[in-house]
Amino acid sequence: MLEISGLDAFYGDFQALFGIDLTLAPGAALALIGANGAGKSSFLHAVCGLTQARGTIRLNSTDLSALPPQDRARAGVALSPEGRRMFRSLSVRENLLMGANVGRKGHWTLATVTDLFPILGEFANRPAGLLSGGQQQMVAIGRALMANPALLLLDEVSLGLAPVISQEVLAALAGLRGQSDMITILVEQDIGRALGATDSFLCLLEGRAVLSGASAGADLDRIGRAYFGEDA
Amino acid sequence: MIWIDVILNGLMLGGLYALFGLGLSLIFGVMKIANIAHGELVVLGAFLAFAATGLLPLPLWLVVPLVAVLVFALGYGLQLGLVNRVLGDDPMPPLLLTFGLSIVVQNLLVEVYGANNRSLDAGWLETARIDLGGLSVGVLPLGTLGLSVVLFAALQWALIHTAWGRNVRATSDEPGLVSLMGLDRKRVFATVMGLSAALAALAGMLLAMRTSVTPFSGGERLLIAFEVIVIGGLGSIWASLIGGLVLGLVHVLSFRLDPSSGLLYGHILLLVILLIRPEGLAGKARTR
Repeated sequence: MLEISGLDAFYGDFQALFGIDLTLAPGAALALIGANGAGKSSFLHAVCGLTQARGTIRLNSTDLSALPPQDRARAGVALSPEGRRMFRSLSVRENLLMGANVGRKGHWTLATVTDLFPILGEFANRPAGLLSGGQQQMVAIGRALMANPALLLLDEVSLGLAPVISQEVLAALAGLRGQSDMITILVEQDIGRALGATDSFLCLLEGRAVLSGASAGADLDRIGRAYFGEDA
Repeated sequence: MIWIDVILNGLMLGGLYALFGLGLSLIFGVMKIANIAHGELVVLGAFLAFAATGLLPLPLWLVVPLVAVLVFALGYGLQLGLVNRVLGDDPMPPLLLTFGLSIVVQNLLVEVYGANNRSLDAGWLETARIDLGGLSVGVLPLGTLGLSVVLFAALQWALIHTAWGRNVRATSDEPGLVSLMGLDRKRVFATVMGLSAALAALAGMLLAMRTSVTPFSGGERLLIAFEVIVIGGLGSIWASLIGGLVLGLVHVLSFRLDPSSGLLYGHILLLVILLIRPEGLAGKARTR
């Protein structure tokens, strides 16, 4: 269970989020949508503890609000960051092992992650910096899964990837839905694909939540107006 | 035969130089800062060993690891208490902080021990020699070179094969990301600073066994440590060993050929390397 209330986020004097409320049940998947600069990444960073924030964030009844990022990670928050952010001098296997540093036990191990993305097993000993963008994205997601997170945050998983590769990545993620209590929050440019991979959505505009609802049968016209800030 | 002797002496001195450079190179590689107090950590190691041998009835082989462990703790605390506070995008604050620390340590040592020359009494080890195929070689310098190579190999092994080493390399790659993996980079930095300080203290004790040191000996050792990592190059541990050996060779050779030159030819080598191969003899060219 993820319960967020009144979440504000700041970069110095600049306020990036205004009073976001969000509740997600175990196993739920949420698509976070919005234009560039709407606050999607700020939201993920605020949950991870990477940016200054106000408000409360509770994950499975642990209050994360006052914890530094490393303790939030140990409490079960994992992020696959925008731009993939490889540890470039580490091998693929070592990158995945970094994710396991939080010491949480569960389904995800080197073996299960390489079952999900077989190419990572094949390239286990290559420096992660030498992989293609799609393969690096798989490493970034695998690294987050290695933490056996209670809350998986995926930032722009298909940015800069060839469509066929990003479909492969999203298909692998879709295969995980409903298999565990892990909550997933997905930030994704392609709204159609984002809705297809989730149960519900939340649309941000200039740091404020402007529309939310179920992903299935969502009214794309309304989302489009909320996305661009046109009055409904 | 005389030249073989000179070369061997150069390599043995180089082993000690490499050890001066090792800790500095480690810190620079991981935190991207220059520790100006590195030379004072070398001297501090020697003076703590003087103090320990003077106060406690302990043999030197026990004092050396004891002081190394103590200085590791000191370096660890120094990083957590002070250096971590000034780390950021600007390289200037850590430079100023460590510069200030070097002056404080220097003056504390003068206050407590005076400015006299001191050296560590290594007993029979100081004069012991062994015969290597007709060459008479000092056991202490040879042992210093051997220990230096072993420490380089051990650190390299630890960086590649242990979880600690993986965390250190990851922190060096992406310092802003490791907290998402449950790591506190400040503690990673602290272990690195502790290790660097312990290596410096060890080098300082070896130095004090072969020559005398004063509280003001740190500056010259810092200079040598910098020259070692510039000549060898950044980007790998082994580069510092090569840099140290080459610098030691040049110092001993130039002392032989031009006895009044002091460290001049070492500095000239540094300038030549900067001109023709700025990435260092064994360094990797920076692509970023």
